[in-house]
Amino acid sequence: MAPIRVLMAKPGLDGHDRGAKVVSRALRDAGMEVIYTGLRQSPEQIVLAAIQEDVDIIGLSCLSGAHNSLFPKVVDGLKAKGAGEIVVFGGGVIPEADIPGLLASGIAAVFTPGTSLEEIVSWVRKRVKNHHE
Amino acid sequence: MNNWQLQLAKAITKIENLDFQALADAARLPLDDSSVHIIGVTGPPGGGKSTLCNQLIQGLAVSHKVAALLVDPSSPFSGGAILGDRIRMQALVSNPNVYIRSLSNRGNAGGVASSLVSILRLLMSYGFDYIVIETVGAGQSEVKIASIADTTLVVSVPNLGDDIQAFKSGILEIADIFVINKGDLPGADSLYTSLRESAQSQRQGWTPPLCQTVATAGLGIPELLAEIHRHGQWLGKENRLVEKRKLAAKFEVLELSRMLLQKHLDTVPAEVLARNLNRKDINLLQKLDDVYGELLNIFSEV
Repeated sequence: MAPIRVLMAKPGLDGHDRGAKVVSRALRDAGMEVIYTGLRQSPEQIVLAAIQEDVDIIGLSCLSGAHNSLFPKVVDGLKAKGAGEIVVFGGGVIPEADIPGLLASGIAAVFTPGTSLEEIVSWVRKRVKNHHE
Repeated sequence: MNNWQLQLAKAITKIENLDFQALADAARLPLDDSSVHIIGVTGPPGGGKSTLCNQLIQGLAVSHKVAALLVDPSSPFSGGAILGDRIRMQALVSNPNVYIRSLSNRGNAGGVASSLVSILRLLMSYGFDYIVIETVGAGQSEVKIASIADTTLVVSVPNLGDDIQAFKSGILEIADIFVINKGDLPGADSLYTSLRESAQSQRQGWTPPLCQTVATAGLGIPELLAEIHRHGQWLGKENRLVEKRKLAAKFEVLELSRMLLQKHLDTVPAEVLARNLNRKDINLLQKLDDVYGELLNIFSEV
């Protein structure tokens, strides 16, 4: 009865939104409500939008190389505004070597090119379900 | 500053999910606050509704608290949705006077979400001066917004058809204000002429004005805001606003009854349904003397 609500956002300055749109559609096709906020979002804008939309989870897509700076700012911003329970995951062209640092900063998962849509959908379902229980 | 937004957002989710307690709490909040102006914006997909709403909200939020409810359609296949109206409103997200919420219509025909009026009650209790509702991209008969909003804007764009389209019944009849967006495109003048005739048919003493806008450039927005204000003042006289809000309350009762009934029916276990349908005393091939009684039996646990 209650669909999972997802915010999909592209922090930073790159304009490559194909990946974010493909993942958004896959989540839509899995019955989720996906709020797509478009390009060039600041971490602060993403945090405020997530709060207003009462989402369960945020997907961040970044292909500019600024993920190490931008992704943790979203996690910290949520905590600062009392919305630290919102799960954050990321994707894009992210070097393997950067992933442990992102996970340590509170990003729940990082999906790099080649990940199947099924894997992302089932991970989101499981992660939000665990979270609600 | 965001504490109230967190609280409001969670309360809206509960109403959307038809949580009985949340609906009951919302029902205790009044809908007749005349200091709040509810503005509905409808029109075809791609007509510039979101861009127009962005401009309107920016104009209103200079000196007022504004909430926006942006409705997009759910998928008929998965029930999921892509809610993309916020993209046109990125500058508004950090404005402390503005709260924006995207809503799926959750399969509800008519261009809005069933729980919309309950959400309006809640927003009124948060002290917003204006509530802007953007419907799904509307065709010819998504007219429910007119029962909910105080002032309904119907957005048209040039070159979607000839003057016969403007002559037809349906969405054009619900306009309190006509907006010709993308007014810089060729064809805007002939659209203006066609719509002017639709606008002539007065409803209870109000002749819908025509406003020409180019929302992407902010052109025509001050004039449109002035017309919205003028309609609000007109509604304030002769009990008109109260009559409008009564329509909204009736819409709420009917929609919620339907949704709660559906929710109830969905909770009847499939095996109960199958068993009842198979019971010998319900012979669907014979004439039924008490069809409603039989229907209730089918959906009841016995």
